[in-house]
Amino acid sequence: MISIKEVTELALESARIILQSGGTTNRCEKIMSRVCAVFGYHKTESFVTPTGLFITVMDKDHTANTQLMRIETRRIDLGKISQLTRYINELSQCGKKGNCPDYSEVMRRLKEIDAFSPYPEWLKLLLGGLTSACFCLLFGGSWLETGVAYLVGLMVSISLRYIAILQVNSFLTNALGAALIVLFAKTLDLYIIGIKLDTIIIGGIMLLVPGLAITNAMRDMMSGDLVSGTARAIEAFLISVAIAAGSGSMLKIWSLVGY
Amino acid sequence: MRPFDSLTLMQFLWAALSIFGFAIRTNLKGFSILLTALGGGLSWAFYLISLYYTKSPLLSVLISTILVCSYSELVAPRFKTPVSVFVICAIIPLVPGSGLYYTMRAYLDQNMTEASSRMLQTLMIAGTISIGIAIVSSVTNLIHRVMNKL
Repeated sequence: MISIKEVTELALESARIILQSGGTTNRCEKIMSRVCAVFGYHKTESFVTPTGLFITVMDKDHTANTQLMRIETRRIDLGKISQLTRYINELSQCGKKGNCPDYSEVMRRLKEIDAFSPYPEWLKLLLGGLTSACFCLLFGGSWLETGVAYLVGLMVSISLRYIAILQVNSFLTNALGAALIVLFAKTLDLYIIGIKLDTIIIGGIMLLVPGLAITNAMRDMMSGDLVSGTARAIEAFLISVAIAAGSGSMLKIWSLVGY
Repeated sequence: MRPFDSLTLMQFLWAALSIFGFAIRTNLKGFSILLTALGGGLSWAFYLISLYYTKSPLLSVLISTILVCSYSELVAPRFKTPVSVFVICAIIPLVPGSGLYYTMRAYLDQNMTEASSRMLQTLMIAGTISIGIAIVSSVTNLIHRVMNKL
C-alpha cells in the first residue's frame, strides 16, 4: 500500500504527460482516476483545464489530499499519448490481479515514457518537408513547385525548432512560422523561374493549421468539459489568425520592398 | 474529374503520404502510422468523391468528416490508442489552410468582396468539421452508454 501523497503525485505526473502532448482533458481526468483506483483509492475528484490540473484523492478515513499543477508548455506528441494509455492499461490489469508495482517503479516508467523519442531529429525535419510537399501536390502544384515546397517545408521545420527553444507563446510561433514560409517561398521564387507561389505557400501553411485544437475542442465540449472546450476553440481561432497575420504581413512587406 | 479514376487515387496517395509524415513527426510508432496515414488519405478521397456527386463543398466536408471519424472510432480501440489521435491526423487535409491564405491575399489585393466570401467559406468549413466531430463523438458516447446498460 503506497501513501496518499505518492498516489497523487503519480496521477498528476501521468496526466501532465498527456496534457502536455496534446491529449483531451476528458482523457486526463479518466487517467488520473484510473491511476488512483489501481492503488486502491477509489474516491477521487479531478478537474482539468488546458492550462492546469487539479486533483483531490480521498482514502477510506476521508482524509483528503489535494494538489494542483500548472501546465506551461504544450506540444503535439501523439506517440506519447498512446504509449502512456497503453501503460496505464497494463497497470490496471496488474492492479486487478493484486500485484501492483511500487511507487518508484511506476515513477521510473513514467519518466522513461516522458523522455522517450523514437525518431532522430533530422528525420522529423525531413518529413516536415514531405508533408508540405505532398500538400502542395494535393492542391494542384506541379512537380517543380513540389520540389520548392519540400525545401520551404524543410527550412520552416528547422526554424520552428529553433523558435521552440526560445519558448515564445503559440501565437507568435505560428505568426513567425507563417511569415517565414512566405519569406522562404518568395526568396526561392527569385532564383527559380516558372513557379506559382500559391500552392507552395499553402503547402507550408498546412504544417501549422490547428487540426489538433479543433479536434480537441469539439471532443472536449461533447464530453461536457465546456471550459476547456471553449478554451481550445479560442486557441484554434487564435492560431488561424496568427497564420493569416504572419503570412499577410510578410506578403505586404515583400511587395513594399518592391521585388 | 470523375471519381474512382487514377487522379483520385493519386490525390489519395498524396494525402496519405503527408499524413504519414505528420504521424512520424508526432512520434507515433508501428502499425498505427500506416492506419493514420490511411485515415488521412480516406478523408480526402471521401471529400473528392462526395464533392463530385453533391457539388457542395460543405456537405462533402461533413460527409467526409463523419465517415473518417467513424473509421477512427472503429479502428483506434483495436490498437489501444486514444480515438483523438486518429481523428487529429485524419482531419488535417480537410482543415481550410488554403482558404486562410486566399482570404489574406484577396484582402491584400483590396478585393473586399472576394475576401469576405473566402473568409465566410473558411469559417463555414471549420465549423462543419467541428460539427462532424461532435456528431460522431456524441453518438459513440451514446452507443457506449447503451452497450454498458444492456
